[in-house]
Amino acid sequence: MYPIDEILRKGSVLADEVEVYISEGLSVSADLKRTKVSRAVESQYFGLSIRTIKEGKIGTSSSSNPQGWEKCLNASLASGSLATPQPWQGLPYPAGLDSRPIAYDPSLTPDNDIIVNLLKGMIDGASSYPVEVTSGGASLSVQTVTLANSNGVYYSRPQSHVTASIETIRGNSTGYEFGNSYTLDLDPISIGERAGFLASASFGGVDISSGPYDVVLSPVAFAQLVGAVLIPSLSGRNVHAGRSRLGSSLGLRVIDPALSVYDDPFLEKGLSSTRWDAEGVPTRNLSLIREGILENFSYDLKTAYRYGKESTGSAVRTGHGGGPAIGNHNVVVDGPRKDIMEDEAIYIQDVVGAHTANPLSGDFSVELTNPFRISGGNYEKPVRKAMMSGNVFEMLGITAGLGKDDRVIGSLVVPSIRLKKQHIIGS
Amino acid sequence: MDGIRYYDIRHVCGQSTHIEIDNRVIESAGTSFFDHAVIRALSAKGWGILTVDNYSGTTDKELETLLGKAGRVSAITAEEVSLADAKRGIRNVPSMHEDPRDVSIGEKAGIMISIEKAATIEGIVNTRANYTERFEEVTFKDSSGAYEHYAICRSGFGIMAVASRAGSLQMGYERRHSIRGLNIRHQQDLGRSAAERAVALLSALPARGGTMNAVLDPELAGVFAHEAVGHASEGDLIQEGNSVLAGKGGERIGSPIVTIVDDPSLPEFGFEPCDAEGSRVDRTEIIRRGVVAGFLHSRETLAAVGNGHAGNARAMPGEPPLVRMSNTFIEPGESNTDELIAECRNGILLMGSRGGQVDPGRGVFQFNAEYGYLIENGECTRMVRDVSLSGEILQTLHSIQLCSKEKRMHQGYCGKGGQSVPVSDGAPHILLSGAVVGGSVPD
Repeated sequence: MYPIDEILRKGSVLADEVEVYISEGLSVSADLKRTKVSRAVESQYFGLSIRTIKEGKIGTSSSSNPQGWEKCLNASLASGSLATPQPWQGLPYPAGLDSRPIAYDPSLTPDNDIIVNLLKGMIDGASSYPVEVTSGGASLSVQTVTLANSNGVYYSRPQSHVTASIETIRGNSTGYEFGNSYTLDLDPISIGERAGFLASASFGGVDISSGPYDVVLSPVAFAQLVGAVLIPSLSGRNVHAGRSRLGSSLGLRVIDPALSVYDDPFLEKGLSSTRWDAEGVPTRNLSLIREGILENFSYDLKTAYRYGKESTGSAVRTGHGGGPAIGNHNVVVDGPRKDIMEDEAIYIQDVVGAHTANPLSGDFSVELTNPFRISGGNYEKPVRKAMMSGNVFEMLGITAGLGKDDRVIGSLVVPSIRLKKQHIIGS
Repeated sequence: MDGIRYYDIRHVCGQSTHIEIDNRVIESAGTSFFDHAVIRALSAKGWGILTVDNYSGTTDKELETLLGKAGRVSAITAEEVSLADAKRGIRNVPSMHEDPRDVSIGEKAGIMISIEKAATIEGIVNTRANYTERFEEVTFKDSSGAYEHYAICRSGFGIMAVASRAGSLQMGYERRHSIRGLNIRHQQDLGRSAAERAVALLSALPARGGTMNAVLDPELAGVFAHEAVGHASEGDLIQEGNSVLAGKGGERIGSPIVTIVDDPSLPEFGFEPCDAEGSRVDRTEIIRRGVVAGFLHSRETLAAVGNGHAGNARAMPGEPPLVRMSNTFIEPGESNTDELIAECRNGILLMGSRGGQVDPGRGVFQFNAEYGYLIENGECTRMVRDVSLSGEILQTLHSIQLCSKEKRMHQGYCGKGGQSVPVSDGAPHILLSGAVVGGSVPD
């Protein structure tokens, strides 16, 4: 048993409050070179992160050495001594939470046979199309996350995660598809088929001229733009620091009334579902934008205390030294659904360069991956090469409907979306 | 260890220090510790790899057990991996003019606050500064008896300023990273220039999209070399058939003025004393005067593909090595920058970088400038914002018309396969004809 109590006891003498966060786990994975497994990896990992608070000064440190906790504790205290004091009203107390894990499959164990079957299934699926597999991979991990603090919080959560992905090529047309789940419900054959279809159907693309086009963004493409621009603009920290375009728009209409955006930490199929956030605050369903109206920003404890707000249970472990920072669990983009593939449009599977969007202004211009002209619900013709430019906030201002195909992509859950008259640069 | 043809162990331990300042508040500052090892074993077919945290103190007997386990992990592999011979030997880590570890974190925080303060000018609503320092001690050994050990410290900083006017937000930023020691002293001017650019961008025009001539500054031209050529020359992508440069060795794909090089032995941010397989690092001319001259390799991809030398296997601590770029650049030409602008005539000057991405199999890349200027009648005129550029690898090098005389390198991190490694990119100013520019104003 790891000496969590000892860290808390010793830390409590030296600081007002102490928090210990440990993640440890085991994963197996394998990678394909073309259709053969070229390497198999087994990883054992351990991470300890300690946070101390003394007179409002917050310190953090992390270590991969389980025996090195005293060094880590001292480094956390030293770190706190440099920090600017914060208005601080304490770490959370135990909240009597339901201890049943969400989105966890207790039957999963790291097993190479599962990996091999996932890879084989994807290769079989891709072989339905005239393409070559270039690479692929599958992984399975089980992990335990433990959070304890000097106020008596002691939470532990098991997690399981399965991934599978494959890349294909026909001529110079590429296809990529992936799946993620907490359990073994991935269908590797259909993942392979989709990657095969994308490369195969994109072969022999035609040029299009520049101009305004109606487009359908697949969930993957939509998630890229939402993740790069909309999500950071909803962080309380960015809002109060003057780094969010939505900062002064609470209660106002900021996007199409057909769209709602909320964080659902209890989602059964979510990859980041949890009943407590990264600093032990109970999570909640958080409505960020309801029918186009901006309702809430997300907060962790530090930002909430500083600006007289309440934590929304949105802390995740992405900060320096393994510390908590504002993030999200499963952000869902929702609204009325309809068939959005029927009318003519350019369908966009993915985009290249979403991370180069301007997160403040929302302006972006990206290269399109697997664009097709669609009509009557069919992929009519592949487009050889095109860019799309615009502004994420303006793009979401008027939309032409959400598809019926929700997809979990990292910590986002989004459908495809239809947009009118987007600026496409052809060649 | 029965049946193991080859093994190696790469153990990296060390510490990382950071300082994060947001609007003059020290949000966090401190030190964390890491200790990771990767054990690779090659048995009958492919790699069995173990990654282990907290490896320090592992005894020979324990290592033997781990190697046995790595051998068993490899049982599911089917690809027969061969390793090419590689030159061995380690280069000296360049000396540091001032070891960052000798300066207290308090003093470093004070300097960062002064840089941040310099960015606080009229029109700026937020400033953010960060400092990072990472000290790594690396030990490599393999079953052939190779043993290398070195220590390296990488440090640097970034400053970002946000300007606001009438609900509109823009940002300017500067960043510098180094392997040559503490680089934050006397850099207040960079804080100010980030702020001035953010304010200027509030008045900049949105760019007009379309096909036009473009001049790229050395930072963006470096990203161009990295995205448009570097990734597609990586031996693993060539081996998988996922690069348009596969099978193109010896072919002309660009104008004779274009030479593009990757060199991990240069004392720049992507420097490695030896690569992650203990191979000697050296210069690779990927494109020599417009012709595909070599690929970047690990020992495995060199054996499978040929055309080059090993020495570009790189890894994050605790991760298996991948074929990666290091210091990638376009060799300078003979023109003056003014000549490029004049020759461009009507088009756009693109400056700074917000990053880029490539699909090497399809041969299409995209990258984004931080800002730019219209070029009208051979002169730079109005400032433009949010402009990106895309292109096709096999055509684009033909469109380089001129290169200026002076090359500059810029530092950054490059992501691949979930791993981020330090790199530098560089180039002179370059003139591209017929570039596809993405802007939000219709042509």
